[in-house]
Amino acid sequence: MSTPTIPRESLPAVAPAPVGKRPLRVNRLRAGSRHIAPALFLLPTVLVFGLFSWWPIIRSLVLSFQQTNLVEPATWVGLRNYQTLLDDPLLGKAVWNTVVFTGLALLIGFPLPLFLAVLMSELRRGGGLMRVLVYLPVAVPPVVAVLMWKWFYDPDTGLFNEVLGKVGLGPYPWLQSADTAMTSLVVEATWAGAGGAVLIYLAALASVPTELYEAAELDGASVRRRLWHVTLPHMRSILLIMMLLQVINTFQVFTEPFVLTDGGPEDSTVTVLLLIYRYAFVGGDYGSAAALSVSLAAVLAVLSAIYLRLTRTWGTK
Amino acid sequence: MAESVPVSTHRRRRRRAVAGAGALALALVAGTAGCSSGESGGAGSSGKTTITVAGMPATTAPKTRQQFLDAVAAFEKANPNIKLKPTDTQWDARTFAARLAGGSAETVLTVPLTEPPGLIARKQIIDLSAEVKSLPHSGDLDPRALAPATAADGKVHGLPVTEYALGLVYNRDLFTKAGLDPDKPPATWDEVRTAAKKISDTSGATGYTQMTVKNTGGWILTAMTYAYGGSMEKKVGDKYAPSLLDGPAENALRQLSAMRWQDDSMGNNHLRTQQDAERDFAAGKIGMMISTVNSYNRYITQYSGKPADFGMAALPQQNAGRSTLLGGLMAVVSAKATPAQRAAAVKWIDYFYLKPAYDPAAAEELALAQAADKLAVGLPTLPFYSAAVSDPVNAAINKHANIPAANFAPYVTGVGKLDYQVEPPVAAQDLYGALDTVVQAVLTRKDADPHDELAKAADRLGPAFEKAQAQ
Repeated sequence: MSTPTIPRESLPAVAPAPVGKRPLRVNRLRAGSRHIAPALFLLPTVLVFGLFSWWPIIRSLVLSFQQTNLVEPATWVGLRNYQTLLDDPLLGKAVWNTVVFTGLALLIGFPLPLFLAVLMSELRRGGGLMRVLVYLPVAVPPVVAVLMWKWFYDPDTGLFNEVLGKVGLGPYPWLQSADTAMTSLVVEATWAGAGGAVLIYLAALASVPTELYEAAELDGASVRRRLWHVTLPHMRSILLIMMLLQVINTFQVFTEPFVLTDGGPEDSTVTVLLLIYRYAFVGGDYGSAAALSVSLAAVLAVLSAIYLRLTRTWGTK
Repeated sequence: MAESVPVSTHRRRRRRAVAGAGALALALVAGTAGCSSGESGGAGSSGKTTITVAGMPATTAPKTRQQFLDAVAAFEKANPNIKLKPTDTQWDARTFAARLAGGSAETVLTVPLTEPPGLIARKQIIDLSAEVKSLPHSGDLDPRALAPATAADGKVHGLPVTEYALGLVYNRDLFTKAGLDPDKPPATWDEVRTAAKKISDTSGATGYTQMTVKNTGGWILTAMTYAYGGSMEKKVGDKYAPSLLDGPAENALRQLSAMRWQDDSMGNNHLRTQQDAERDFAAGKIGMMISTVNSYNRYITQYSGKPADFGMAALPQQNAGRSTLLGGLMAVVSAKATPAQRAAAVKWIDYFYLKPAYDPAAAEELALAQAADKLAVGLPTLPFYSAAVSDPVNAAINKHANIPAANFAPYVTGVGKLDYQVEPPVAAQDLYGALDTVVQAVLTRKDADPHDELAKAADRLGPAFEKAQAQ
């Protein structure tokens, strides 16, 4: 039985609401009061965030055009701090080292967690234990982890040379040579950071519909083809974001060179952040430290924008 | 029941909730803002001048800490218009600037001798010249003791807490095992090379090590350059310029290069901080290194080293060298101190740090507390005052000495023949940083040429010297 319908034409014409001054104000007031409550609830967060995140950013920007000893009022020096950076022969080296670290970290540190995640997702048993083992380094405080690796790399009594010595290899200089120091730092950083990325990749892998794998298997697709044609396309968005985050993080590498090498040997591991630290806390030149911080932030922002623009369509293909 | 509540009640509750949220937000903001404010010292409503004083010993040294607190109480009793707030904060260059800006840096701080030139240049500590003149025994103060905190214009920005000359620290046990006489340590760098080779060949330990990172490479190379008869900076016209290529620095580096690559007596680790070197030295892995007298304190308290194995000699000299570099601590006053706080601060520095150097009774009291905490007593530091004032003080301290005095005899004898040099006057930390790179190059790369590396460092230092002297 169909529901009786009333012909549209027979409906009485609805008169438009009168657009008087008073009803509009009431509506606006009501709308306004609806927004006040959420705004007030947001206020503490915004204020705290503003105070501890945005205000320091603004202060850094201002400080980059000033000279100060943090006692007397700061004086404006225009672009002199930026000129100091350009005059510093170590800046080019620090930038190059940072780019090398980022490149090596992408080369070694980006595919490894993905590979481990795919491997672990295929495990029938022991997956939980594997996840704990892989994530464990993330739970170790960074400075403790780095100090542990300092012992691993010790040229005389370190773990690596001890073990390799038993099979007749080495000793290798690891951190003691300008040729190998940076790679050694990347290996440590990869070990320390891979756990978090593995967990994210595992979560992304779990979201790939199993029917797709079953269908691919029925079609006779090998493991490699399933990975290439099913897994990776479904993880494209997360891979792109993870790559961007890794680039931003590795550009700001500090703990490893600070604790393990202090930028040596021969400045081969001086990074941009280490240089910022030296400007501020060794030389007391807070203006130049701020100028370099601002420059680094600007470069990262531009790189991120270019990256996102280039990859805008890749993630949704 | 909720349906029966009138709409106006809903609105009232909602308004109250909104008001509550707003109040909470304001309270949070007020609380946050409150964190940044607080008592900053100075003359309070009671008319007392309040100052904060760093340097209180840690709880791990209870007797010396109590002695410090007793001194605070006695000082306050003798100076009822001054209130002291002691802290056990240690000097940390990384946090000092932020604490100074935030108003939480202590009024009186003790800083290593490497710091005053930078702090003076940045105007973060104040001129104490006028106050120093009115101190007891000010006429007997040795200008060399004040030199590390004396600016180019002659103004004094700090007072000595402890001062010593850098010297050669060596392991007497390794010396004996290598067939060397531990009572006749090397007096020249050629002798250091010979001894290092013997130690390395006989025991497998590192014969001689050099600190190389966190500006210690430049610091020790500067001491070596003084010992080779040179300097790191020279005046050209009315400005200073690096003098790295004058010869002595290069000679010092060539000596290190020969020990590293020809003799293989410097081990494999060439990225060492002072702590790394001291720890391995206490473990008996290192034969010799350049360090300070105070490293003996860390040797016995932090690394449980054997006192009998610790030996110390004056800094070995070579060619025309007759100098060593001063190390130690200076007491300085924050630039944020008011005139009243400055006067109170200098009174405290005199009472706690200088009095034990001119008053035998105060010296003995401090020595007793240190001995009770098993800290080193009787270390051969440099006197701040003339012999007439210092000798009775040293006699009082030596009554409670607990160090193996004979092991320091070569140091005491040798240092007396040397001149004391202070840190390079301009951009010292920049200089040390650039020289870290040079020392690392020589010790980690066989084909590194000392002259070329020093030339690169001199080029690199150009802008830093210009900037430092343009201010």
